[in-house]
Amino acid sequence: MSVLEMIVTPGSVDFVMNIGIIFLKIAVVIAAALLHVAYATYWERKVIGHMQVRLGPIEVGPHGLLQPIADGVKLFFKEDIIPANADKPLFYLAPVIFFIAALSSLSVVPFFNDFVIANINIGLLFLFAMSSLGAYGIVLAGWSSNSKYAFLGGLRSASQVISYEIAMGLSLVGVMIMAGSLNLSDIVRAQQQYWFAIPQFLGFCIFVVAAFAETNRLPFDLPEAESELVAGYFTEYSGFRFALFFLGEYTGMIMMSSIATVCFLGGWTVPKFFMDLLPFLSGLPSFVWVAVFLVKVYAFMFLFYWVRATLPRYRYDQLMSIGWKVLIPLALLNIIITASVKVVIRGLV
Amino acid sequence: MTAEKLLRKIFFVEILKGMSLTLRTMFTPAVTRRYPKVKRPVKSGFRGLHALAKNAEGKMKCVGCGLCGAYCPSKCIYIYTSEGEDHTKVVDRYEIEVLRCIYCGFCVEACPFGAITLSEHYEYSDYSRAPFYMTKEKLLSNWDKYFAGPKGERYFRDFWQPHAENFAGREGQATFDTVMLKRKDKE
Repeated sequence: MSVLEMIVTPGSVDFVMNIGIIFLKIAVVIAAALLHVAYATYWERKVIGHMQVRLGPIEVGPHGLLQPIADGVKLFFKEDIIPANADKPLFYLAPVIFFIAALSSLSVVPFFNDFVIANINIGLLFLFAMSSLGAYGIVLAGWSSNSKYAFLGGLRSASQVISYEIAMGLSLVGVMIMAGSLNLSDIVRAQQQYWFAIPQFLGFCIFVVAAFAETNRLPFDLPEAESELVAGYFTEYSGFRFALFFLGEYTGMIMMSSIATVCFLGGWTVPKFFMDLLPFLSGLPSFVWVAVFLVKVYAFMFLFYWVRATLPRYRYDQLMSIGWKVLIPLALLNIIITASVKVVIRGLV
Repeated sequence: MTAEKLLRKIFFVEILKGMSLTLRTMFTPAVTRRYPKVKRPVKSGFRGLHALAKNAEGKMKCVGCGLCGAYCPSKCIYIYTSEGEDHTKVVDRYEIEVLRCIYCGFCVEACPFGAITLSEHYEYSDYSRAPFYMTKEKLLSNWDKYFAGPKGERYFRDFWQPHAENFAGREGQATFDTVMLKRKDKE
């Protein structure tokens, strides 16, 4: 038996094939996600522009459609400035942590039936972990920049993310109780009858508010409050490092929209009554349903933009009191109600 | 806190009102003017780039008296004259440093011959300072560019022509007669 035969066994071929498929999936998901991120910025500028009776980007390409590409190219050629007194290793590391944390959450999101890079049992917990890890990037960026604006932004972001993480986690406990699983695909499959947003209405509202705070979006964008902190934690960043923060932030927004879609709005599925109405839909191949998923994600993204165009920024103490005094008690109430209803229905008492 | 206030707070009534406003605004047409493509018509009497007027024979009206330069608050008009044949005054150089001009129009008012004018042209940005230094030749060619044709002639007549040349007021100008007539009509 030669060495080659020892290596090339049916088992090892399968192993290599699997790895190849996973890499292919990762490449597809990252490419698609980054394209969506680029056009999320375009769409945001368009929506907010029209809400402010402006046109938004319109000159580059038809209706300004090439604007995100032009912006990306411009960012590549920008000067990369590093402050003289910055803590250089951390300064280099912070945007990478932030961006990787945002991107790696994509690995557990089921885009359509049986299409998920890592089908792990603790998908939801993994998402929480990654969104908290992103806060490290922000804090380190604020610390290493050696600038008061960046430092204040980083501190604010840390306390805000920690406070709202609790509310967000607790708001999703209701979903976990109803689905009986932490696996995101299972959570979607549990919603084939009706969306969890209906019985978990309270949880959904808490999740939406917490998601706004988690992603540092208006009305909770205190970590990067332009009028007081210049640009917050990434004040000192420029060029491609700034682009990493920017991409990470929008990836985070898409992630939050995806979590909302998966946990509350039924993921890639459409409600059962709709399927009964149009029975031919069930014959469609599974990858078509990614369109349903995307429509829901974009509807949720629109809510982000819409709120940004409408609401002013909260005061910092108001932000904290909403988080600790309103959202967390409400989320706990939601858990108690959901759990007791489930116990009564299952007849466990 | 009354019950109504509490309910309003719980159901985000004010926030929802604001959001419905922004949503409605989204579907109204934008007010943006896409400037280089859509140009804003200048108001009548707009004071833009300078030009030296020519008379009917196509010669410069300026006689080099220097009143404009004397009146100019930012002192950006330079006139150099010399003695020509028959002791006539010849304007050798007439130069305006446009970057220092404040477009007050005093030079136009000072000129007894209607020789210096301000055109409606305002798009003359450039990458260096040199093009903004207007020589006599440039100012005369500005006249050909911006005061040619009936539109330019009307603009000159209505705004920059001295009354010594033409006593007739422009159309719709408020004169003593018209004001008194209007008052009589009211009575």
